[in-house]
Amino acid sequence: MSEKTLRVRVVSAEEAVYEGDAASVVAPAWDGRVGILPGHAPMIALLGHGELAIDGPDGGSETFYVAAGVIKVEGNEVTVLTEYAGSGPPAEIPAAAILSPEDVEELAAEGQSG
Amino acid sequence: MAGGRDVKRRIKSVENTRKITRTMELVATSKLKRATDRVRAARPYAEALEEIVRSLYAPELSERFPLLRRPEKLRRAAVVLFTANRGLAGGFNANLIREARNLLERLRSEGVETRLDLIGKKGIAYFRFRGEEIASARTDIGDNPTPEDAESVIAPLRDAFAGGEVDAVYLVSSEFRSAMSTPPIVRELFPIKPETESAGPVSYILSPSGDVLLDRLLPAYVRNAVYRALVENAAGEQGSRRTAMKNATDNAGDMLERLTRSYNRARQAQITQEIAEIVGGAAALE
Repeated sequence: MSEKTLRVRVVSAEEAVYEGDAASVVAPAWDGRVGILPGHAPMIALLGHGELAIDGPDGGSETFYVAAGVIKVEGNEVTVLTEYAGSGPPAEIPAAAILSPEDVEELAAEGQSG
Repeated sequence: MAGGRDVKRRIKSVENTRKITRTMELVATSKLKRATDRVRAARPYAEALEEIVRSLYAPELSERFPLLRRPEKLRRAAVVLFTANRGLAGGFNANLIREARNLLERLRSEGVETRLDLIGKKGIAYFRFRGEEIASARTDIGDNPTPEDAESVIAPLRDAFAGGEVDAVYLVSSEFRSAMSTPPIVRELFPIKPETESAGPVSYILSPSGDVLLDRLLPAYVRNAVYRALVENAAGEQGSRRTAMKNATDNAGDMLERLTRSYNRARQAQITQEIAEIVGGAAALE
């Protein structure tokens, strides 16, 4: 029996952006959006650029725009590390971005050819 | 009464100094508040990133990743010294410089070539004066360092390590334990040694492959270590300055008390003498 909520943390290098419980999370992984429900298998994935939606356990939801980073899921704990998190797209992509939008395309192309 | 006037002048000057040190103390206190917040805010990211890198890391990966390479012999090492751009922070800069000098001496005595990268005016001024060769010097990082600053500091060294130009990179910075305790420490940034847990590894779904993940995350991991050094150093600087300026303000207070006392004594002595003279003069007329 797994618990019915996820424990979600969103952190950027400079601050902890969000911390709380959630019923589900939809994250912009590098190769498309990925939905996470309680009981998800352990996972580490790179994030692309896009909206991160966190649905609270009692309805209500939070959305952030995240730009590059990594998501880790383990035992109902979801950790999102990102270079940028805000209400809208960043004015400019941080120089230190783990994955820039061009990188995402490159990776996707590699994935198709390989 | 020459003595009295001299003391009066000194009192004025100590008062002015105290005004300055008190203001600096207040400024440092407010900056320290912000700086400690940043140190605290940076912690969750560092912990989470470390955790992820640790779960991806395996010693045998060192052959495939230049950033994970493990040099057999230490031939050339880079020392990155973080100091403040400004002084008047007690022993803060001096301690850091001493730590860096000890490290350099130790490395050199072991026959290791060194390169010196300096951040902060104080370290630069010292080593330039000593005639050391400086590989890079930066003074443009202010009180609020950003991850981008960290990236620009470390990018050349990361490449140098990956390319085999240096076999180790040491960071000399202050560890921010509390506002009162900011001892200098040496962190070994390269070669990377994440502590591997022996406890049963969880098998993760990796997307994309583990190799690509590590390839992307290692630079971020390194950058973050430098970012941490930067924010902790910024906080340490303010903490040391606040302590130093508080001591200076207190000392000025003590000094004022003593000076005021000796001024009063001198004044009283003069009055007493004048009265004695008047009384003496009056007695002589009778």
